[in-house]
Amino acid sequence: MSSTTNGGRPLLSAVGLSKYFSLETGLLASLRGKAATVKAVESVTLDVYAGQTVAVVGESGSGKSTLGRLLLRLLEPSAGQVLYQGADIFGMNRARLRAFRRQAQIILQDPYASLNPRMRVGRIIREPLDIYGEGSKAERQKRVHELLERVGLNRNHERAFPSELSGGQRQRVGIAAALALSPRIIIADEPTSSLDVSVQAQTLNLLSDLQRDLGLTYVFITHDLSVVQHISDRVAVMYLGKIVEEAPTETLFAEPKHPYTQVLFSAIPLPDPSRRMNWDLPKGEPPSPLNPPSGCHFHPRCPQAMSACSHTVPRFQTVGRDHGVACLLYEEGVN
Amino acid sequence: MSLLSVRDLSTEFQSGGRWLEAVSDVAFDLQRGEILGLVGESGCGKSTIAYSVMRLLARNARIRSGEVWLEDVNLATLDEEELQDLRGRQISMIFQDPTTALDSLFTVGHQVIETLQEHLNLDPAGARQRALELLRQLGIPAAEQRLKAYPYQFSGGMSQRIALAIAIACHPQVLIADEPTTALDVTIQAQILQLIRRLLVDEQGTGVLLITHDLGVVAQVCDRVAVMYAGKIVEFGDVHSIFSKPLHPYTQALLSSLPSKGIARGRLENIQGRVPGLADRPSGCRFHPRCPQAKAVCRERVPPLKQVSASQEVACVLYD
Repeated sequence: MSSTTNGGRPLLSAVGLSKYFSLETGLLASLRGKAATVKAVESVTLDVYAGQTVAVVGESGSGKSTLGRLLLRLLEPSAGQVLYQGADIFGMNRARLRAFRRQAQIILQDPYASLNPRMRVGRIIREPLDIYGEGSKAERQKRVHELLERVGLNRNHERAFPSELSGGQRQRVGIAAALALSPRIIIADEPTSSLDVSVQAQTLNLLSDLQRDLGLTYVFITHDLSVVQHISDRVAVMYLGKIVEEAPTETLFAEPKHPYTQVLFSAIPLPDPSRRMNWDLPKGEPPSPLNPPSGCHFHPRCPQAMSACSHTVPRFQTVGRDHGVACLLYEEGVN
Repeated sequence: MSLLSVRDLSTEFQSGGRWLEAVSDVAFDLQRGEILGLVGESGCGKSTIAYSVMRLLARNARIRSGEVWLEDVNLATLDEEELQDLRGRQISMIFQDPTTALDSLFTVGHQVIETLQEHLNLDPAGARQRALELLRQLGIPAAEQRLKAYPYQFSGGMSQRIALAIAIACHPQVLIADEPTTALDVTIQAQILQLIRRLLVDEQGTGVLLITHDLGVVAQVCDRVAVMYAGKIVEFGDVHSIFSKPLHPYTQALLSSLPSKGIARGRLENIQGRVPGLADRPSGCRFHPRCPQAKAVCRERVPPLKQVSASQEVACVLYD
């Protein structure tokens, strides 16, 4: 793919993006005087360049899916901006937002849940074209056939209901529908997580082919670091709402800096019995995003935590070429 | 004598008035103190084997033939009352979704203590003591308070620890774990696998049948592995042999389709076509329509599982 920072302006950027969810509303919360707030995404800044794939990696509760939805304005932010070609999507009026939405699409994890079970495949793929009033009826039909072929299905699948298809085929239908309006950028939220490995491989290959042929840009949201290496140019690692490390994929795999990134790597079960993990695992579980630890959110589980980590919030800073990390180990004058 | 011995097991499901075979002539032994992995993709029959062994099959399923020996008892012929007596005490199971094993209306303590009282004839105080011990062994912090909590107050990882506590409360000789970490984050998955390996298998000598689709999990914790395709075991043996020298074309294809660290960015190998459904399983070797090395004979001959080295068995005509 293209180089990491290709000089120009990013296609899509998050700038200081935050999303807080208020959990309790109503009488009890007001009696208590404050509503519980989950900081699902906190001050995230991320650039996505045209033609690139940026992977956002994190475990449950890291805020990665919320970030994905903010990038498409499927959610309104609590603070910050998302710039598409320099324009803040949250400041767009209806017409401009509609124009943005045809260029930015989403693919979801569960092809069982994300396709309408009562619609035939042809209609699912045609729906975006209908909504945007693309071409004549015959032209739309032709486009549906093109798309089916493009994702490795055929005309026989057009009349099928999603329930008649396998998981991999359903994910292809989801991809075809996302491609219908010829978008420039696709947010893929765990697109292969519910698929068997051989089907996962087929789907990842399809996504690579589409990127090459159509010049697509991807934001690939996943919990699975082993998938990341195959698909992405850059990786951002999230923990409890924040990006803790961001780097070109090769750099991150060769030299993970943040202790959390290192822990994530060490917990991946490698398919190689001669390289068994040493079971030096982080203690405990990710804390509740409702009540995140002070200082660095990772400090209670961190094997390298220092006393300062419990009260100092680490700044995100550059540690190498295009490589950023938020950890006091790399901050001058703290340790 | 093996701890658990499955002999020529075939299990079928009723669908639209027909009986369709989900598991065909499967045989394997499980020893004390080992983890045997049963690995395969969706629909290969690996969970059906687990439910057949536990005799927990759904109403529309039945064991058509075969034997399941737990030491000297054939589970396939026991009646429900006899089974009840063995389950939990001799053989236990945990599931992908740990909440299925927990009743949301009762506290976790109530459920763990109840199991202990019932199966171990302990008085309430003794059962409570043992429950606390178990929770601590399984790495559950603040065990006292946790006993008073309800299942909804637990994360997925904590629920799986509780389900594991209930499953091993009576020191069963065999634990069947059906995708126990599939729904968990990788750091939590590693913790649970470590518990199963160290506490259960290495310390207590339990025999574990680990059912998973994840070849990484198999490589990390299993001693031996059975690779399944379309209801049959296609390859069986020592985990080191199978990962370093997979013999069956399906095992080879499965391993090379894995994205993993150390392999540069690029196209992944994949297997053409899709897994056949129960109703349209191919003749001969069931993998032949997707096999890159298929020969004419593969369409007709059903290859038996055959010992090809001290540590490996394979069902493929290439090794005849």
